[in-house]
Amino acid sequence: MIHLLFIVIIGFIVIMQTSIPYLLKRTIAFGVSIPEGHTDDPSIASYKKIYAIVSSIVGIAGLIAYVSWMSGRSLSGEKVVLAGLFIQFSILFVSMALYLYFHAKVIQLKRAKQWGANLKQVRIVDLEARAKDEMLPSYLYIIPMLITIGLMIYTGTQYHLMPERIPTHWGPNGQPDAFTEKTPFSVIATLLIALIIQAMMLMINVFTKKSGIRIRATKRQTSQIQQLSFRKYTSWFLFLTTVLITTLFGFLQVTTIHAELENAMLMMAAPLVFLVIILLATAAYAFKVGQSGSRIEVQVEDDAITGITDFDDDRFWKFGVFYMNKNDPSIFVEKRFGIGWTINFGNPIGYLILFVPILLILAISFLV
Amino acid sequence: MMLIRIEPDSEIPIYLQLTHELIELMARGKLKDGDPLPSVRSFAADLGVNMHTVNKAYHELERKQFIQIIPKSGAIVSSISNDMAQFHHERITTALQPVIAEALVIGMSDREIKAVVSSIMKDLRGE
Repeated sequence: MIHLLFIVIIGFIVIMQTSIPYLLKRTIAFGVSIPEGHTDDPSIASYKKIYAIVSSIVGIAGLIAYVSWMSGRSLSGEKVVLAGLFIQFSILFVSMALYLYFHAKVIQLKRAKQWGANLKQVRIVDLEARAKDEMLPSYLYIIPMLITIGLMIYTGTQYHLMPERIPTHWGPNGQPDAFTEKTPFSVIATLLIALIIQAMMLMINVFTKKSGIRIRATKRQTSQIQQLSFRKYTSWFLFLTTVLITTLFGFLQVTTIHAELENAMLMMAAPLVFLVIILLATAAYAFKVGQSGSRIEVQVEDDAITGITDFDDDRFWKFGVFYMNKNDPSIFVEKRFGIGWTINFGNPIGYLILFVPILLILAISFLV
Repeated sequence: MMLIRIEPDSEIPIYLQLTHELIELMARGKLKDGDPLPSVRSFAADLGVNMHTVNKAYHELERKQFIQIIPKSGAIVSSISNDMAQFHHERITTALQPVIAEALVIGMSDREIKAVVSSIMKDLRGE
C-alpha cells in the first residue's frame, strides 16, 4: 500500500516538475520578468526545454531506482517511507538547482542584451476590476469550522463512551498506530488541529482577495480575464482542499468515537481517496488555469500597443522566488515560478498567517 | 475598463500621477459626481505602491474638492462649489502661464497653441 502511495506521489512530482516551464506565463522566465518584445526569445525557449528534459530524466531515473530497490524484497514500512522521501527531496533538489542555474542565465541574457532599455515601464490598474472579481466569499470558510466545532461538542457528549486509548497518528493503511491517554484535551486534539487549518484557510482567502489585481500593460483585456479566472479557480481549489481536510479529520474523529463503525476497507481507502482527489484537482487546476490564468483561452483581441512594458519588479524578488516589498500592502502575491500564491515577506501579517498555525499545531502534537 | 496608468520610475511623484489620472477620468466623464473611488488599501495593492501614496493623492484631490472623503466609508467624486470654481480658475490660469510663456519663446503661433489646446480637449471628450 505504502509503496503504491509513494510511487504515485513521486510520479506526480515528476510530471509537474517537467511541465512547469510550460504552465507559466511568457512574461516571466525562471523568475525574471521579460520585457515586451522578447517573450518569445529562442534562448529562453531552449532553457525551458533543457529544464523539462533534465527534470524528466532525473525524475524517471529516481522512480525506476525506487521501484527496482523495492521489488522482490520485503522491506519495513519505515524504510519504504524514508527512501521515498529521499527520492522526492532529491528530485526537488535537482529541480531547484536547475532553476537557479537558469535564473542566473536569464538575468545575464536580459542584462547583456539590454532588454526593455527603450521601453517605458508602466503599471496599469482597472478601477472596475474589483467589481468583476469572483473569488469565493470568505463566510463560506466558516461552515467547515462550524462542522468541526459541532463535532467537538458531540465528542464532549460521547466522552464517557470513548476508549481509554485515543489515537494520535494514523499509518498509511488508515489504521491508528500511536495512542495517548484519554483526557478532555486529547479527545479533541485532532479536531483542534483541523480547526486551526480551517482558520488558516479562511485567513488565506480573506487576504488573497485583498491582494493586487495585476494586468499586463500591452494585453489589458486578455490578461484581466485570465487574472480574474486565476483568482476564481484558485479560491475554488482552496475551498475544495478545506472541504477535503474537514471530511478526513471528521471521518477520523467519528471512527475514534464509534469504534463499531470502524471498517478496515474504508479506513484504508480514505487517505488514498483523499490523496487521489487532491492530486487530480491539482493537475486539473495547474493544466487548465496555469500561472495567472495564462492557459485559459480568451476570445478577446487587444489593440496593439507599443513603446511600453510592465513595471520591472525583479528587484523585489530574491532569487526570483521570495517576494519582499515593504511598500506593497498585498500580503499574498502570485508566485513567479509556479502556480498559486506566495507571501510578501516584507509584510509581517503574512508570516503570522503561515507560521502561527504551524506553531500551534506543533504545540498540540507535543502536548497530547 | 476604467484604466489608470502610472510610471513608477518617472520623475513625477506617483501620488501626483494618480491625481492627474483620476482627474482625467473625471474630465472624460468616466468618473461622475457621486461615484466611489477604490479603497486606499485595494488601490495601493493593485498599483503595488505604499498606501500612504494613495492616501496622499486622495487628500490632494480632497483639498481641491474634486473628491470627498467620508470617514470609514471611503472617497467619492464630488461636484465643485462655485467658490471653489473661482479659486480653481485662478489657479489654472497661474499654472498655464509658464507653459504658454514657454510656447511663445519657442516660437509657437497663437493658432498653433489654440490647436494644441483644442486637440487635447477633443481627446478628453473622446471625439
